[in-house]
Amino acid sequence: MNFLNYGLSTSWFELSKPPLDISTNGHLIDSLWEYTTVLAIFYFVLVCIGLFGFSYLYSHKRNKTPYYTYGNKKSHLMVTALIGAAVFLSVDLNIARVANNDMLNVFWNYPDPKKEEVLRVQVMGQQWMWSFRYAGPDDQFGTADDIVSINDLRVPAKTKVLFHLTSKDVIHSFFVPNVRLKVDTIPGRITRVWWDANVPGTYDIACAEMCGTHHYLMKAQLTVYEKDDFNQWLATSAHIAKTTNDPADKNLQWGWKWEN
Amino acid sequence: MSGGFNEIHEAPTTFWSKYIVSYDHKVIAKQFLWYAIFFLGVGGMMALMIRWTLAYPGQPFPIIGKLLLPSTGGVIPPDTYAMLFTLHGTIMIFYAITPLLIGAFGNYCIPLMIGARDMAFPLLNMLSFWFAALSGLILLASLFLPLGGAAGGWTSYPTLSTLIGSPGDGQTLWCLAIFVLGISSTMGAVNYITTVITLRAPGMGYFDMPLTVWGLWLTAILNAIFVPVLGAGVMLLLMDRMFGTTFFLAGASATAGSGDPVLFQHVFWIFGHPEVYILILPAWGIVSDLLSFFSRKPAFGAKATAMSMTAVTILSTLVYGHHMFTTQMSPLLTQSFMTLTMTISIPSAIFFANWLGTIWKGSIRFDSPMLFSLGVVFVFGLGGLTGLHLGTVTTDLYLHDTYFVVGHFHYTMAASVLLGGYAGIYFWFPKMFGRMMNEMMAKIHFWGTMIPLNGIFFGMLMVGYGGMHRRIYNPFVYDSLKRLIPINEMITISAILMGLFQIVFVVNFLYSLWKGKKAPSNPWNVGTLEWTIPSPPVHHNYDEIPVVKCGPHELGNPNLKNGRDFQYQTEELVKG
Amino acid sequence: MRRAELQGNLAMTVTLVSGAMLFITLFMGYAVYRTNAPFWPPLNIDKVPLTWPWISSMIIALSSWTCYQARSLAQKGEWKSAQLFSLFTIFCGLSFVGTQTLLWRDLKMSGIMVDSGVFASILYGFTWIHALHMVLGLGGLVFLHLTLLKVDSKNLYKVMNVERFWHFLGIVWAFMFAGLFLF
Repeated sequence: MNFLNYGLSTSWFELSKPPLDISTNGHLIDSLWEYTTVLAIFYFVLVCIGLFGFSYLYSHKRNKTPYYTYGNKKSHLMVTALIGAAVFLSVDLNIARVANNDMLNVFWNYPDPKKEEVLRVQVMGQQWMWSFRYAGPDDQFGTADDIVSINDLRVPAKTKVLFHLTSKDVIHSFFVPNVRLKVDTIPGRITRVWWDANVPGTYDIACAEMCGTHHYLMKAQLTVYEKDDFNQWLATSAHIAKTTNDPADKNLQWGWKWEN
Repeated sequence: MSGGFNEIHEAPTTFWSKYIVSYDHKVIAKQFLWYAIFFLGVGGMMALMIRWTLAYPGQPFPIIGKLLLPSTGGVIPPDTYAMLFTLHGTIMIFYAITPLLIGAFGNYCIPLMIGARDMAFPLLNMLSFWFAALSGLILLASLFLPLGGAAGGWTSYPTLSTLIGSPGDGQTLWCLAIFVLGISSTMGAVNYITTVITLRAPGMGYFDMPLTVWGLWLTAILNAIFVPVLGAGVMLLLMDRMFGTTFFLAGASATAGSGDPVLFQHVFWIFGHPEVYILILPAWGIVSDLLSFFSRKPAFGAKATAMSMTAVTILSTLVYGHHMFTTQMSPLLTQSFMTLTMTISIPSAIFFANWLGTIWKGSIRFDSPMLFSLGVVFVFGLGGLTGLHLGTVTTDLYLHDTYFVVGHFHYTMAASVLLGGYAGIYFWFPKMFGRMMNEMMAKIHFWGTMIPLNGIFFGMLMVGYGGMHRRIYNPFVYDSLKRLIPINEMITISAILMGLFQIVFVVNFLYSLWKGKKAPSNPWNVGTLEWTIPSPPVHHNYDEIPVVKCGPHELGNPNLKNGRDFQYQTEELVKG
Repeated sequence: MRRAELQGNLAMTVTLVSGAMLFITLFMGYAVYRTNAPFWPPLNIDKVPLTWPWISSMIIALSSWTCYQARSLAQKGEWKSAQLFSLFTIFCGLSFVGTQTLLWRDLKMSGIMVDSGVFASILYGFTWIHALHMVLGLGGLVFLHLTLLKVDSKNLYKVMNVERFWHFLGIVWAFMFAGLFLF
């Protein structure tokens, strides 16, 4: 009965909060979640008031004679229609509008590496690991000086990072809870995602799409460095890559030409 | 074929023709009921094993673990775990809920409630059950294969479900089983649609049908249209697996020409989203009726409820894309699917308002069917509202494939459909078997189901929001998820509790079957047609086909003078 | 209309809607593959042999006509000739399935194997599924012939419903022939 001890020490409400938001835009998702939740709770409370209130007030004990109505009087229809309209106007239209704006202006508005400083990373999912590829000194993907790492993603803070993702075998899903984003990696396709992290530290990357027996072990580590630390790491890694990359190693040759 | 002339057939006399290959819709309904209860047990046991692993990874499953998994000493290994959640989903959706709501209640209620002697095509009806039975056998057989049953999730997305990801024959048998079940469902749908259109008793217009029949009829229409879509999908998948076609292969593993794995997702969800409503519509219908019956007043806005159910049916065919936001469809598609999804809340809000309007100023009897119906309103409220978070594309980016989704869809199509099913069982049991169920045990069963059920599924919403993704064998390999151990334990303990309380139901069911109090012909004092005849009904249901003169919800009419507070549908509406 | 007739017609309508949904799904998939492919047919594929598809099309068109004849003759009460036409329809149906097997043989001979990519998958897969339905349809035709042998105008609706199913299969083939082979 482990859970009772925990239950006393920390409230479950605290425990179930999502992990620390480390990105510039994650708050958009969090705030929309909160807005939706507040409204959902509001309407659910209304339902409960009706459900429990009416059950109490109009139980057979308290109310012997039911009110004989088909609910098709004008006032009844008005109330019903009003509830429908209220839900649609207060909840649906708002969250759809906000989500639409966020989607078009932020999450699917990919940064252009030609116009601004963007770190580009290629990601390949396979059973059951993540491979990451940086362009290396020549700024070209799919060349011998690429930096390739497995289950180890390192990115600079306060810089936009743009990922192109694909999969080698089955469908995986690249899930980074700390930036609130997730995108499927699909064999034969390239999907995209970008973020701008600003809190240095190490975080989890997971595969969120069922991909076989060891799906649960398909995790990688995300390290967010300060910019200087990152550049230093990149330089060292480039050096290591140059000296150790074996052109004959098939596992290193999965990169593709970057196209926007 | 004795194609439905609504004439009296002679009752069968041999055991074989009476109980096994019976053409009688009432017997077929009971066959489906037993089938569903059996698979509910199997699926429920699987759920407990899944939950056990999530709370106590690496520990042997208590009591029966050693028996089921002798090679690991009772510990559930990851591959078995994958098979368990795959088959839990498949069994609960296709082999438990579908036969319970559509097979059992559809068969039992449609002819009785519309005043018919049988279905339009009794032979087809019998075949429909035996195809379902064959399909169930195929699925169960797959469990005994050397590599085990299907393990690619109930959605069985390629390329995981092709030979690349699942080399065993389990997945092949899964496809076959689903295809055979699809044939059975289509047969049922042909029958239900035709029966409702042609065999309504004289005088019964569409809006004089009980809402239960409305729900079942709309379900049948959805089945007829969308089950073949899944049929096409699994057929192509079968060919990929058996004949070497490459419909769903792509990328490095597709050596010869590229197929498209995402196409399967489209096909699956074109079927899959309506499927959610296929499951829930009968429950909505049952609940709409029962709320009125036990509040002793007419269903509030019954016509609007029927229309809203129809509207949801139509909308449900247009929104499937919200299951696929993370595959990055074009922004235009994404926007359309999101907006269309949102519009579903209008009809939903309307029938919620009608449900509450029905109990408003009623004279509510809290018999067990009513308790379960009120329970449906509660859990479907939660389930429906959490759908908002998932239908919104940006919040879905975080919540997709987490336990938030699992909690949401269990609230909508597991919890509410299960409670609706129980409401139906407690309500129609007297008519089906001629005996009453024990009310005390029914109430214990209700609270013992309702409270842990919310512990389970609300807990799932919480861990999902906390970032725990689904279908993982051991969540705690992630450091960031370790904090969720206590909530997971709470969910598991709730699940075990809920499982234990189902024993009360099984005991009550079996006990009442033989030893229950004899049921009068109309124990609940309601006026729909099935209560005008003895319990259980004779083989041909109605000696004389009834003539319908008023609606199904004529309760609490102050002008009634005969000491009853309800009217049978065969009676002229009493006016003041 | 008598109730049994209405029921039979309704049941066939629902069946046809279900069947249509199955093939619509397949065609939708085909449209997706085709619009996403850079070249269609793919470059490594030789010309698809069209002889047998053309012959199949003519046979199935003929069978639709004979099926129609069988029904309308029965309606006029000319049962004997109706029976002849229905037999001829069964013969056409069988030859259609025969020509399909020849088509598959031809495909193999021109190097288009089942596992040589999605183009071949579609050719084989779709024609297989259609052929499977043709077998069901043939069963229907046998039922139709047996019904005609009973010489009872009460059963005409059954004849008409089998005819509808047979025309449906013909229409599906027409779409397949046009979509998969011609264009």
